[in-house]
Amino acid sequence: METLREILAPDFLLRNSVYISLLVGLTCPMVGVYLVVRRMVFMGVALPQVSSCGIAAAFALHTWHIIPHVEEQSENLLAFAGSTILTLAIILTFALMERRGRGGGEGRVGAAYALAGAWSILLLVKNPFGEHGLLDRLKGEIIAVSNADLLLTAGTFGVVVTALVVFRKEFMLVAFDRDMAISLKRNVLGWDGLLFLLIGLTISMSVLSVGPLVTFGFLLLPVLIAHLLANTMRQFVVLAAVVGVMSAFVGFYVAYRWDLPVGPTDVALLGFLYAAAFVVKRVFLRSPVAGTETQTAD
Amino acid sequence: MTDDCLLSLDNVAVGYGRRVVLRHASFRLTRGSFTGLLGANGSGKSTLIKSIIGVVPPLSGTIRFTQRDGKEPGLGYVPQREALDSIFLFSSHEVVLMGCCGSVGPGRSFRREHRDWAEQCLQSSGAGELSRRRFSELSGGQKQRVLIARALAAKPELLILDEPTAGIDAAAALAIMELLARIHRERNLTILMVNHDLLAMRKYVQHVIWLREGGLTQGSAEELLSRDKLEEILKLQLS
Repeated sequence: METLREILAPDFLLRNSVYISLLVGLTCPMVGVYLVVRRMVFMGVALPQVSSCGIAAAFALHTWHIIPHVEEQSENLLAFAGSTILTLAIILTFALMERRGRGGGEGRVGAAYALAGAWSILLLVKNPFGEHGLLDRLKGEIIAVSNADLLLTAGTFGVVVTALVVFRKEFMLVAFDRDMAISLKRNVLGWDGLLFLLIGLTISMSVLSVGPLVTFGFLLLPVLIAHLLANTMRQFVVLAAVVGVMSAFVGFYVAYRWDLPVGPTDVALLGFLYAAAFVVKRVFLRSPVAGTETQTAD
Repeated sequence: MTDDCLLSLDNVAVGYGRRVVLRHASFRLTRGSFTGLLGANGSGKSTLIKSIIGVVPPLSGTIRFTQRDGKEPGLGYVPQREALDSIFLFSSHEVVLMGCCGSVGPGRSFRREHRDWAEQCLQSSGAGELSRRRFSELSGGQKQRVLIARALAAKPELLILDEPTAGIDAAAALAIMELLARIHRERNLTILMVNHDLLAMRKYVQHVIWLREGGLTQGSAEELLSRDKLEEILKLQLS
């Protein structure tokens, strides 16, 4: 209880880190719902890695004076720009290739993951700045979060969550039945573009705050947990966000209490919750597991 | 193009990328007609209707809808039900409500009148009792009724169905065809339906368009699905 009181105190030294964790816990699952229902889970693995590579590339270009010098306070903006530009470029390229019916989608995503991982390391190794903080940034150290960083993250996630709520009907229609949406004269390309922009922004900002592993964990695990327990799409989205926020807070508490790294603690906790939800579903709810269906007679 | 014509295709070729699956397709659908689209697997039936609804742009030729009061006719589309992923936790009511998306602006919520209309469409498709059931858990025939209700919710002038009776048992298939015949009769809807069931086609549709050998043959159902004509067409296909 003492630790909890400490974390909840208004003058808690790491309060910005708690807020960042909660924001990631809220936003990533809401975005992750679309990655899961559109069967783009592999993108959820590859894009955070691509985003990391964008951060590393931005700092490398800065170090090599290819892009102009920025003040220390603007480094986060530089990282955000690198991360967002590369993530959006890759996500839009994949979307265009998929739309043109080029096969091998999984292969492309896998290749992007491997290449982004390799280039992140190469750019870090050859960048003296890498030894002074960039590596920590990519690992998702969320200990020192400035008010400016928190504001930027909150602003970005605020826009994302608002757009996801306001345009839920359009995003869901296009995800569920693209052909039907076209027959109703909906601008499918436009809605896809907006959704991918939101996904790209969320992943970029989240990777900057908590690193690629934790970002992927929050994109996927709360969504899988919610899908096991929800009965409706509304419950599915709300439950995913609630699980994300709760586990972000509990994960922070556990990490702080036992001096563990926050991000991996969050993901491990989500893993336990997923196993528990699976057991609850199988033993107590006794209805079909996600991805399966029962057929009833006419 | 006469006033009665709702849709006309002139010398249309369809396919994906450089692969042409159907060439020189020309036909007209008159208002209130019930037309069946037949053809072997890979003959381009589904691609053709995807071109008509705007999903796959035609490789050449023109697809033209006749406007009324400056507006194109509304489309109701019933896809093959396997195309819809069971990962979505939508109720049947929510699926039907999607048909109203065309009349609700982006970012706006469905109103009570939309919800009531969705329920009416479910009722008229004989699926009223399925409203609260999860769509992914319904049987093939039940799903098809819900998808027809969804298409009706769009208040269409042209209803396009892609194999509505494929993969469901004979009794359910018959019920679906009876439902379509009733909708056609009561609402005077123009219907274009892809179907493999020759007997059902002969009983329910008025006109038939048969896709074969990269082109098409068309005529009345009575003429084109007569025993002699069928033998001729099927022999040609076998040879």
